[in-house]
Amino acid sequence: LRQISQRTISTASRRQVKNRVPEMQKIFQEDNGIPVHLKGGVIDGLLYRTTMALTVFGK
Amino acid sequence: MAHQTHAYHMVDPSPWPLTGATAALLLTSGLAMWFHYNSTTLMTLGLLTTLMTMMQWWRDIVRESTFQGHHTMPVQKGLRYGMILFITSEVFFFIGFFWAFYHSSLAPTPELGGSWPPTGIHPLNPFEVPLLNTAVLLASGVTITWAHHSLMAANRNQSIQALTITVTLGLYFTALQAMEYYEAPFTIADGVYGSTFFVATGFHGLHVIIGSTFLIVCLLRLIKFHFTTAHHFGFEAAAWYWHFVDVVWLFLYISIYWWG
Repeated sequence: LRQISQRTISTASRRQVKNRVPEMQKIFQEDNGIPVHLKGGVIDGLLYRTTMALTVFGK
Repeated sequence: MAHQTHAYHMVDPSPWPLTGATAALLLTSGLAMWFHYNSTTLMTLGLLTTLMTMMQWWRDIVRESTFQGHHTMPVQKGLRYGMILFITSEVFFFIGFFWAFYHSSLAPTPELGGSWPPTGIHPLNPFEVPLLNTAVLLASGVTITWAHHSLMAANRNQSIQALTITVTLGLYFTALQAMEYYEAPFTIADGVYGSTFFVATGFHGLHVIIGSTFLIVCLLRLIKFHFTTAHHFGFEAAAWYWHFVDVVWLFLYISIYWWG
């Protein structure tokens, strides 16, 4: 038990955040004709449809 | 594959201006519904759609700049002008409320007892929490400058620490001010003193919250390696906004809390 607690004790600043910018650059620079507001994936579409639905419903 | 032969950014078609405009309509008509018919549905819908539009629009700007590289020097120059003009417009917004304050306080009417503060009003002691608030915001101005210099010197740990402290100070200010609002012996309904006090400090508080949110977004982007030592306009824009918020507070403190 002591081994586990020693291993998991770490502060946020010591946990290494990986630099994902090159990955994102590849995704968003892909020549697929998708506009930037939908280019991130499935969630983009969901968020867009939800936002649109709410504004139309309001009107 | 077509390539542009200029340095400017021709943006992809986007739905956010439309959803933003509709959201503004829902917000304003929602406010009218709340004021006159005691119904909050429309306003809540307006707030929600405004928030969603803002988040997706600004998310797209991060994608266009950091991930797609569209923010060349001319584009950045335009963004700088834009932010400066926006902050200038906000300065004029606050000038209006300071005008109202000075109009009423320099020549107090007989209805107020011919004095300022008006008869019966017990103003807050400027040397208690308001002075602490002043120190908090001034310190946050120092820490954000520290963060900026650390960022330019590629000192990752220090820039993250300094920006975190800046955000914490901003949140501390908001908490202190909220407590002051709760404990104040006068309300917004207490004549022109109450109106000028709470409208001016209230809009300032809203701007502190907006500024703090902007800083939190910058902190997350800083941690995720979005900024380089030479190109970090989002951070600079947040820093300019934050200094503006600080300066407005100094004017508020001197005029309303101290002189008033």
